[in-house]
Amino acid sequence: MKDPDQINTERLAGMGTVALAQTGDGTLIEDPAIEAPLVINDREFADVTETVCGYAEKPAPLWWYAALTAASGAALMAMIFIPYLIITGVGVWGLNNQVDWAWDITNFVFWIGIGHAGTLISAVLCLLKQKWRTAVNRSAEAMTIFAVVCAGIFPGIHIGRVWMAWMLAPLPNYNAIWPNFRSPLLWDVFAVSTYATVSLLFWYMGMIPDLATLRDRAQRRIAEGKAMHLRLMLPTGKPLDIKFINMDKIRAFGYGLFSIGWRFSSRHWHRYEAAYLILAGIATPLVLSVHSIVSFDFATSVLPGWHTTIFPPYFVAGAIFGGFAMVLLLLVPLRVVLPNFSDLLTLRHLENMAKILLVTGMMVGFAYAMEFFIAWYGGNEYEWSVFINNRANPAEAPYWWSYWIMISCNVISPQLFWFRKLRQNPTVIWIVALAVTIGMWFERFTIIVTSLHRAWLPGEWHMFWPTWVDILTFVGSCGIFLTLFMLFTKFLPMFAMAELKAVMPQASPHPHDEEGGH
Amino acid sequence: MSQISTQSSPDAAMDDHAYQAVLDRLATEPALADDNITLTSAEAAGVSRLLLGLGVVGLVIAAGGFALNFRAGFAAMQIGLFAVTAIALGALFFVLVFHITNAGWCATIRRQFENVASLLPLCMIGVAVLLVVELATGGTLLRWLGTDYEGHHLMVHKEGYLNPTFLVIRFLVYAGIWTFLAFRMRGWSTEQDQSGDRWLTRRMRFNSGWGILAFALTTAFFAFDFLMGMDFRFFSTMWGVYFFAACAFSSLAFLAIVFAWLMSKGKLQGVVTSEHLHDHGKLMFAFTVFWGYIAFSQYFLIWYSNIPEETMFYIFRRTGDWALLSKVLIAVHFLIPFFLLVSRVPKRNPRFIAAIGAFMLFAHAIDMTFIIQPMVDAGEEKVIGLSSWWAIAGGVLGFIGIFGFLLLRKMVAVPLTATKDPRLPLALNHKNYV
Repeated sequence: MKDPDQINTERLAGMGTVALAQTGDGTLIEDPAIEAPLVINDREFADVTETVCGYAEKPAPLWWYAALTAASGAALMAMIFIPYLIITGVGVWGLNNQVDWAWDITNFVFWIGIGHAGTLISAVLCLLKQKWRTAVNRSAEAMTIFAVVCAGIFPGIHIGRVWMAWMLAPLPNYNAIWPNFRSPLLWDVFAVSTYATVSLLFWYMGMIPDLATLRDRAQRRIAEGKAMHLRLMLPTGKPLDIKFINMDKIRAFGYGLFSIGWRFSSRHWHRYEAAYLILAGIATPLVLSVHSIVSFDFATSVLPGWHTTIFPPYFVAGAIFGGFAMVLLLLVPLRVVLPNFSDLLTLRHLENMAKILLVTGMMVGFAYAMEFFIAWYGGNEYEWSVFINNRANPAEAPYWWSYWIMISCNVISPQLFWFRKLRQNPTVIWIVALAVTIGMWFERFTIIVTSLHRAWLPGEWHMFWPTWVDILTFVGSCGIFLTLFMLFTKFLPMFAMAELKAVMPQASPHPHDEEGGH
Repeated sequence: MSQISTQSSPDAAMDDHAYQAVLDRLATEPALADDNITLTSAEAAGVSRLLLGLGVVGLVIAAGGFALNFRAGFAAMQIGLFAVTAIALGALFFVLVFHITNAGWCATIRRQFENVASLLPLCMIGVAVLLVVELATGGTLLRWLGTDYEGHHLMVHKEGYLNPTFLVIRFLVYAGIWTFLAFRMRGWSTEQDQSGDRWLTRRMRFNSGWGILAFALTTAFFAFDFLMGMDFRFFSTMWGVYFFAACAFSSLAFLAIVFAWLMSKGKLQGVVTSEHLHDHGKLMFAFTVFWGYIAFSQYFLIWYSNIPEETMFYIFRRTGDWALLSKVLIAVHFLIPFFLLVSRVPKRNPRFIAAIGAFMLFAHAIDMTFIIQPMVDAGEEKVIGLSSWWAIAGGVLGFIGIFGFLLLRKMVAVPLTATKDPRLPLALNHKNYV
C-alpha cells in the first residue's frame, strides 16, 4: 500500500487544479470545471497596493465631501436630540406605559444585527477558507464596529435616568445593589461589549500590515523628496493646495504609530497568521452568542409574540441577513465611484453575497413560518391573537403594514436572487439590499411594538407613534454610522491587501498546466 | 490555459476539448485506480454478514420488548428506526449543501454521503410500517390517533392538522420529496462516473437549490408530526431545528466510521486522506456545538419562562429514570464530543475519529431515547422507564446493523468516490494548510 502523503506529493507534481478563467466579469461561471478569478483585469500585486493605498492617499474627490457633509449633518441630529432627551426626559419619545420599548430598542437590535456580517465574514468565512471574503472583510469589519457604536447608544439613553447607566456594568456592591445577574439584559451588556472588543481587535490587528504599508509609502516619498502636501477640493472642482501642511509627515507619524513596529518580516507574518486564526476561533462563537442573547431579552419573557424557542437561531440568521444587506448597500455604490474598486470587488463577490441574502432571507422566512404555525398549533389564543390581530390581519391589526413590510422586504424581495441575471445585476442587488435593510428594521419594530401594544388587558391597550425626536434620533444614528464609514473610506486601507494578493492567480502555488501557463 | 481566455461564450465555458484533457489526466491518476476506489462484494462479505447478524439479533432482542408491553417494544423499534432515518436525512442534507456551495474539497467524500442518503427511501418504508401500526392500533405512541383525547379542547383546536388522513398525506409528501432527491442525487452522480458530463454537476447544483428549501420544511414538519406530535399538547418552534441538528450530527458520526473502515481496508488511499478526515472532523465538531446551542436554547427558554404547557415536556423528563438520562445526554451529546474533537490530532487519525463517531452515535441513540421513550409511560399506570433499555439497545443496534448491511450493498454497486466530478482535482489536492 502506498503512503498517502507520497501519493499526494506525486500528484502535486503532475496535476493542475481546476482551471481559472482569465477573463470575464468575475461572476460564478456556470461551467463547473472553471472557477471565476477573485481579482479581474489581470491585476499585478503592485496594482492592488497602488489602488488600495490610493484611496487613502489621493485627495478626496468632491462626492466624498458631499457625502461626508450629508452624513455628518445627519449625525448632528443625534448630537442635538440625545442631549435634548437627557435634559427633558424620555417623555419626548412616543413611549407610553404599555409600549415601554419602541424605537429605542428597535434601533438597538437593528444596529447590533448589522454588526454581524463583519464578524461572520472575518471569522466564520475565514475558518471555512472562503477566499472571496478577502475583498469584503475589511470594510465589513469596519461597518461592524460602526454599527456596534450606533447600537451602544440606545440602551444607554433609553433608561430614563441616564446618570444611572453605570449600573449596567457589574460594579462592586457599592450601594448594596447588585446588578441582576439573572436578567438577559445584563448578559446583553457583557455580550455586546465582548463582541465590540473582539471585533475591534480583529479589525485593528488585520489592518496593521496595511497601515505599515501606508506608513512606508509616506516615508519613501519623504525620503525621495516627493512628499505630498494637503490638497482640498473646492466645490467648483478646482484643487486648493495648502503647501505648508505636509501630509506625508502626518501619515508617517499616524500610520506609523498604529502599525506598532510592523516590519513585514517573516516572523511578523508568522505570528500574525497564528493570531488571526486564534482570533477567528474566538470570534466565531461571538457571531452566535450576541444575537442569541439579544433574542433572550425578548424570548425569556412570557409575552405572546416574544416567547418562542426558535428566537436565538432566528435572530442570528436575521442579523447576518441584515448585516450582509448593509455591506451590499455600502459597497455597491463604492464600486461605481471609486476607481478600480470593481476589479477587486467583482460581480462574483456580489453574487456570493446575494446568495447569502437569499439563504438567510429564507432562514428568516422559515422562522416566520414556524412561529406562525406554532402560534396556531400551540392552541394558545393569546399567541395566535398577537399574530393575527396584532400583526397580520389588516382588518384587525393597526400595525398590519409593519408586518407586511417585513414579509415583503425580507422574504419576498430576496426571491429575485433565484434568477441568475438578477443576482448578477448590481442595481438589482442594491435595491434588494435596501429593501432588506428596511425590512429588518421593521422586523424588530414588529416584534417589539406589535407584541407590546396589546398585551393581556384590553384596558391597557395603547398605540405607539413615534415623535419627531424618535425619528430624528434614528436619523442621527444613521448619520453617525455613515460619517464613520466615510472617514474609513478616506483614511484607512479598505482592503486587506496581503490577503487579497494571496488569492490572486499569481500567488497560487499549484503547478502550471502543461497545455499553457497562466 | 491561454486557450480558455479566448473563449467568448457568455459563461466563459471551458471547451470540451480542454475539459477532456482534465478527464484524461483523471483517468491516469494512480489514486483513482480501480482497486483503490471499488469495494468488491467479496471484500465486504465478512462485515456484511456481521452487520446482518447484528441487525437480526438486535431486532429480535428489541422484539423482546413487546413482552413487557406493546408500547415498550414499539418504542424500541421506533428509536432504532428514527436513529437511522436521522442519519440518512443528515447525509442528504450534506449532499445538497456540498452541491449548493459548489464545494471542491468534498468531491471525493460525497459518494458515501450519497450512498447513505439513498437508504432514505428504505427508512421511509420503515416509517410507513410504523404509521400503519399506529393507525391500526389507534395510536400507540402517537396517542392523539386514539380515542383517549377525543373532545380534549386542544384536539378540537388541532383537528384540522392532527387527523389521520392529513398525516398520511404529509408523510407521502415527505417520503416523495426525499426519495426523489436521494435517488436523483446519487443517480446523476453515478451517471457522471460513466459519461464524464460535467454539466450534471450543474444540474445537481440547480436541484440542490429548491431541494434544500424542501428539505428544511419537510424535515421540520416530519419532526413535528412523528416526534413532537407524540404529545399533542407540546409545541416548540425550535423542534424542527433540533431534529435537524440531530440529523447532521449523527450522519457525520456515522460517515466517519464508514471512511475509517474503508481506509482500514486499504481503499481510497490518496483519495480520502487525513486532510478530508480533518475537515470532516471539523464539521463533526461544528455540529456538536450546533446541537448544544439548539438544545440549550430550547431548554433554557422553556425553563426560564416557566409556562406550564411548555415546561411539561422537560418536567416529565426530569422525573424518574429520565432525570439521569437528561444529564447523561448533555455529557455524551455535547461535553464529551466537544473535548474529544476540539484538538487537531484525533480529527486526522482514522481510528480515533471512528471511535469518536461511534461514541457520537451512542449519544444520538440516547437523544432519540430521550425524545421517544418517555412517551411509553405517558398516562400509563405501569411505569416502564428505562427498564427496557436492553430492548432499546437491541432496536438501535438492530436498525444500525440492517442499515449498514444495506449500505454495503450500495457501496459495492458503484465506485467509492465520484470519478469524473469536475471538482475532483481540487478535492484530490485538498490540504488544510493552504
